[in-house]
Amino acid sequence: MSHLRSLDWRRGAIALAAAGLATSCTWEPRRGEPAEEKELVVTIEPRIPLLATYPCSSCHATRTPQPERHPLKEFHAVRTFDFSHGDDTFWCYQCHSIRNLDQLVTATGALVSFDEAQKLCTSCHGDKLDDWKRGMHGLIVGEWNGPRTKLSCPACHNPHHPRYPTIEPEKMPETIKPMTPFGAK
Amino acid sequence: MSQRPVTCQKTDCTAPSCAPDCAPSAPASGLVQLRRDGGTSRRSLLQAAAGTVAAAVAAPACNTPEFEAYFQKHYKKLTDEDKVKVFARLEERTRQKTGVRVRIGDPPPIEGVHFAYALNLSHCNGNRRCAEACARENNLPDEPEMRYIRVLELDNGSQHLERGTVYYDRDKVPAPGKFYLPVQCHQCDNAPCVKACPTGATWKENDGIVVVDYDWCIGCRYCQAACPYHARRFNWVEPKIEPSRINPHQAYLSNRIRQVGVVEKCTFCLQRTRRGMYPACYEVCPTGARKFGDLSDPESEVRQIVENKRVWILKEDIGTEPRFFYFYG
Repeated sequence: MSHLRSLDWRRGAIALAAAGLATSCTWEPRRGEPAEEKELVVTIEPRIPLLATYPCSSCHATRTPQPERHPLKEFHAVRTFDFSHGDDTFWCYQCHSIRNLDQLVTATGALVSFDEAQKLCTSCHGDKLDDWKRGMHGLIVGEWNGPRTKLSCPACHNPHHPRYPTIEPEKMPETIKPMTPFGAK
Repeated sequence: MSQRPVTCQKTDCTAPSCAPDCAPSAPASGLVQLRRDGGTSRRSLLQAAAGTVAAAVAAPACNTPEFEAYFQKHYKKLTDEDKVKVFARLEERTRQKTGVRVRIGDPPPIEGVHFAYALNLSHCNGNRRCAEACARENNLPDEPEMRYIRVLELDNGSQHLERGTVYYDRDKVPAPGKFYLPVQCHQCDNAPCVKACPTGATWKENDGIVVVDYDWCIGCRYCQAACPYHARRFNWVEPKIEPSRINPHQAYLSNRIRQVGVVEKCTFCLQRTRRGMYPACYEVCPTGARKFGDLSDPESEVRQIVENKRVWILKEDIGTEPRFFYFYG
């Protein structure tokens, strides 16, 4: 039952199959049958397939890295990023490895892949790591007693401006109308 | 479960539910007694006459769906055979009313499971996706609009429920200076609604879900008045749902199409959760504020939250002991 602690870190091991199953459920009458023992698997959603401009080295192999802050040029100037993560001392190579642009670098200098972004995020935000590991923080899709997929930090928080965005709500509920047994007045 | 005779021989009625009511053996025994006595006492005459009338009335009506619906037993007294017939009749009724073929199941509570819900108010941003997803999953009518989940907008730093509102209309949420408190059925262990019900039409299942037998509810609305969370809804008129929006995966105790004059409520989507899935409100929540699971599993998310976070209970002082916890963080 230590499924939450023995997390499967293999990158890209299992795609979002569990997530897909959760929404397109197959309905079968199971009346009267005993509850099945299900193997509890918690996987982490891989990130690399979702990155449109990955690998970064396809461009950065021909450019010299600049460790100092400067205005962004070319592609990054066109893509108007909202950089509101941390204070003004932050720079790309705080999190992206200057030696290998296809890797991330944690606060302690360890290289991690884009699929393990949670290791990078929690190298500063350590309080969230425990919550996330126990399933108290973050999205989990799948089955409550079966295979589950955990979404990593960047699934909800854009690393460059991590605050969850404001979104449009569903429509307001109808105000209460006086009703009679014959319908609305 | 029941001791009644298997079938009625006289009327060729095979429905077990009508056997004690149409009583086909009554005229036979009356006539036999007449012949045996050789006399015509007033009692035996009346008995014979009443029996004949009963047989005449019962014989044609005994097989009709209306008759069976009228004499349908409480959910807990239905045998498995009864359930098959009742569910088939309800499916047929839905098909005739809406043209949609639905399947009504009856997933039993999973042994040893105690469902609970936890909601992170730091993450909830009041987008009401949960209420809409719930409506689609549970076949809630749009005219008149019914929603099981109410999302209250409250001022930061206060929990004054009466100053909160569910009627907030904003382009973007969360609004500055506000926080959001979704309220739905808390599936109380000490449920006031169950205690208020005069007919036993609502009860608490073994996995902690409070359910309603819509065919046993008389619509007195005592439960609605008793619920401190405003979690129960009453069908004032025949609920209308667009046929294309009907969810055909239904369960007898949860999301089957209700009729006018009965009370309904959130059932933690038991048609889903008893089959291992998460509730609809959980799955649709984009913020990850909702956490659902088995409270008796020490590794489950809700158990971890209840053990490690400072959870609080809405209106804790009234002692309803809900299965619904709020927390920050």
